[in-house]
Amino acid sequence: MSKMLVVLKREYLQVVKSKSFIIGIVLAPLFMIAVVILPMWLAGAKSSTGEKVSIIDQSGAEIGRRFAESLDEYKLEDSDKPYYILKDLIEIEPGDDISFNFFKDSLRTQIIDQQLKYFLVIRPEAHLLDSNIYLVTNSDNFVSLNRFERKISNVLSTMRLNASDVNISIDSVLNITRRIDLVVHDAKGEAIPFQIKYFSAIIFAGIIMGMILSYGQLVMRSVIEEKNSRIMEVLVSSVSPFQLMLGKVLGLGAATFTQIAAWVAMGSLLYSQKATLDISPSIDRILFNPVIVVFFGLFLISGYILFSTLFALIGSMINSEKEAQGYVMPISLLLVAPFIVGISIVQDPNSTLAIVLSMIPVMAPTMMMMRLVFIVPTLSEYSLTSGIIGEAIISLSIVVVTILFTIWLTAKIFRVGILMYGKRPTLPEIIRWVKH
Amino acid sequence: MFLSLKNVRKEFDGKVAVDDLCLEVPRGIIYGIIGPNGAGKTTTIRMIMDITAPDSGSIMFEGQPRRPDFKNHVGYLPEERGLYKKMTLHEIIIYLSELKGMSPAKTRPQIDPWLERVGLADYGQKKVEELSKGMQQKLQFVTTIIHDPDLIVLDELFSGLDPLNMELIKDIILDLKRAGKTVLFSTHVMEQAEKLCDNICMISNGKKVLDGRLADVRAQFGKNSVQLEIDGDGHFIRSLPGVGDVSEFSNYLELQLLDNADSNALLIAIAQKVTVRRFDIVEPSLYDIFIDMAKIDPSELDKPGGERHV
Repeated sequence: MSKMLVVLKREYLQVVKSKSFIIGIVLAPLFMIAVVILPMWLAGAKSSTGEKVSIIDQSGAEIGRRFAESLDEYKLEDSDKPYYILKDLIEIEPGDDISFNFFKDSLRTQIIDQQLKYFLVIRPEAHLLDSNIYLVTNSDNFVSLNRFERKISNVLSTMRLNASDVNISIDSVLNITRRIDLVVHDAKGEAIPFQIKYFSAIIFAGIIMGMILSYGQLVMRSVIEEKNSRIMEVLVSSVSPFQLMLGKVLGLGAATFTQIAAWVAMGSLLYSQKATLDISPSIDRILFNPVIVVFFGLFLISGYILFSTLFALIGSMINSEKEAQGYVMPISLLLVAPFIVGISIVQDPNSTLAIVLSMIPVMAPTMMMMRLVFIVPTLSEYSLTSGIIGEAIISLSIVVVTILFTIWLTAKIFRVGILMYGKRPTLPEIIRWVKH
Repeated sequence: MFLSLKNVRKEFDGKVAVDDLCLEVPRGIIYGIIGPNGAGKTTTIRMIMDITAPDSGSIMFEGQPRRPDFKNHVGYLPEERGLYKKMTLHEIIIYLSELKGMSPAKTRPQIDPWLERVGLADYGQKKVEELSKGMQQKLQFVTTIIHDPDLIVLDELFSGLDPLNMELIKDIILDLKRAGKTVLFSTHVMEQAEKLCDNICMISNGKKVLDGRLADVRAQFGKNSVQLEIDGDGHFIRSLPGVGDVSEFSNYLELQLLDNADSNALLIAIAQKVTVRRFDIVEPSLYDIFIDMAKIDPSELDKPGGERHV
């Protein structure tokens, strides 16, 4: 035990004293800010500038004009100024296709030159054929598209009503048939915007994945280095291979936690500036959710031990980092998989696929973490034995059982593999070592 | 017995590496395991070090099965040996002695005297990668004995050592023996074993060929002979007691001695009649004995005085 601690201490200090460790502490959050938070800020910032719209109206029925007027309803945040700025309203005779093509081309150029965000094309008889109205843009966004659809529908409904014999006021028809946009609240009556959940899920699962991959590979590299430098046999004449492996896994694990602790410290500094940074307050409900925080710690630890043991196993069987690449690739894919199938979690974190994947031991740490963040469970809502928390406990147990198995397996192979130089063991050989 | 192996056997993938091997290593001697490459020396040593487990048989240390802290009392220098390149000499010595259960506080005062002894006094705070290969080998030797082990196990110690370092390390080994330590080493170069060992064990193809005190081995297998240079007529020598065959060479005679021969009496008897210019008792070399006993192809061994394997 005490010798294991000696190994642990050396492995820990080797990493923590290295320059790359300090660089990692500083650069990784910067990278994360660049990849995740910056786009969020940029997306948020757009609302203060508004978007430019032009309209080519060939209907001869002033559809364009009425549409443009109805858009005035949308204002910039904290201001009376309209969100949509009408750049040009071009009304053309229904038969005048020469002018139509001319203006269409000119607006297209404006879009390409980014002088214009959208232009709406209204062809003749648009109220009869839906495909005669279309929007041209290079960067459509969900919110504006939704608004445009609604306003055009209203204008067209009004036209159709006027043309019919129905004796009812147009306003009341619109009122009766109006569409609703559901505002999403959770069971506690609070809403966490989708983007916040999405980015939080990526950050939590991303930290688990990144830490497992980088520090797990350090374990492997450390084993390979000791094999290559031929110090391995000296070491195992003092400590048992198992103590050596455990010391490495735990020493580098301690380095992982040091790094995360540094990030948490930096993060809380950033968090104290929350007000000025314009971060949605609902992020608190994820950051300070005890269920999420506890399971994040548990899945990070268990995931790290599982994968670093596997990496130690690989390191004991091979002789160079070059050889290692062939093995690291599939392992990395297992960890990245949840991000690839992430779309199914986004759509439904309780879908069968999501539940099944979060029970597969090698995927569980990242997969379950993403589901937890999407569901944002609280202890008062869910019991420990059922629902998402129950599933998380099952998933964690599966990981722990798998860890026990991989440690047993690795211990068997490690003690023989580390003394094999030059030659890579064949599968039958490995099976014999395990049986022995 | 300090260290004993009883009926130890080890197979790898159906190939027998060590077969029914028994060894007895008394305390306080230098013990050599000798044999050609692939004879099973390293496997034997790894089993002694508890790095590899024997398939059957037992290994006893100080009369008992090896305890968990056995490794703390042994210093081991494997044939394939290396160091962490990025650590300083002080760091690596402290680390490796800590793994032997020594506290850094206990190790620290011993580092500089040892480094001085092997000529590395100025390198204590340098990194291992700054040392030449010969220097690294001396450092490896220091890390093997820094924790004052009772048993020192050296696998093919001299392979790759230059002659100067070899002398230095031989001196240290003899000092260790004087201090009551037991040194066990393996080599495929018989000459080295002849110079250093008190006891030897010869193995070939995983089997023990012979073992015992070096002097006994020689006495047992020695067909000793005497090379003789005299002034005068040496015909009478053939009839002296203890003398067997006599071969005449251009400027000396070679007498085969019988088993009961007393070489002192022989010398006196000769000196009474003629002037003795040279009287050399030539003992058979381990090399000769090994070739004789193991019935192996001599090309598998390094010839005495020939080039050493590196």
